[in-house]
Amino acid sequence: MTRKSSFLLAALGLAVVGLTGALLSSGPAMAQSGVVASAMAAGTVGEQADGYLGINGSVSAEVRAEVESINIKRRAAYTDLAAKRGVTVADVAAATGCQTLASRVKPGQVYRIGTGGWQTKGSAPIPLPGYCATAN
Amino acid sequence: MSQMCEQGRPARPGGYALGGAAAGIALLLGGCITVKAPDKPIEINLNVKVQQEVVVRLQKDAQDLIQNNPELFPQ
Repeated sequence: MTRKSSFLLAALGLAVVGLTGALLSSGPAMAQSGVVASAMAAGTVGEQADGYLGINGSVSAEVRAEVESINIKRRAAYTDLAAKRGVTVADVAAATGCQTLASRVKPGQVYRIGTGGWQTKGSAPIPLPGYCATAN
Repeated sequence: MSQMCEQGRPARPGGYALGGAAAGIALLLGGCITVKAPDKPIEINLNVKVQQEVVVRLQKDAQDLIQNNPELFPQ
C-alpha cells in the first residue's frame, strides 16, 4: 500500500466518523435528553428516592414531556426487572433510587426524598433513606 | 396470663350451659383484649424489614439497569 493511498483511506475514515457523529448529535433523542440534563444542571429537574425524575418548580413543556417520557420508560424497565426477580415494581424503583442518590446526583443538583422538599446536594454524600442500608 | 383468660367454670348441663359458655367467652374477651394492642406496630416493623432486605438485594441489579440504559438516566 502506497503512502498516498493510505492517506486517502485515513481521510475517508475521518469523513465517515465525522458524518456519523454529526448525524448522531443532531438526532432528536440526543437533543431531548440534553434538555433534561440542562434542566438538572439548572436545578429544575432532579432525581427522587422513589426511582423517578421529578420537577422542581416550573419548566418548559418540552422538558416536562421529556421527563414524563423518561419516567414511563423507567417504569417499564423496573417492571421487567421486578418480574424477573419476583419483587414489586416499587422495590426495584426504590433500589434504583438508592443508586441514583448515592452515585449519580452531582453537587449542585437537586434531589428529593419521600414527601420532603427539594434539596441541593453539597459536597457531602446525600443521607440515604434507611432502607438503602448498604447501598453502593 | 393465658390461665386468667380461661378461668371460666365448666359449663353445667341444662339451662346453665349457655350462660356458662357466654360468661366464659365474655371472660375470654375481657381478659385478653390487651393482647391486641401490640399487633399493629409489630406488623409495620416487619414490613419495613422485609422491604429493606429486598432493596439491598436489588442494588446490583439497579446498578446494571442504570448502566445499561444511559438514555433513561441523564446527568
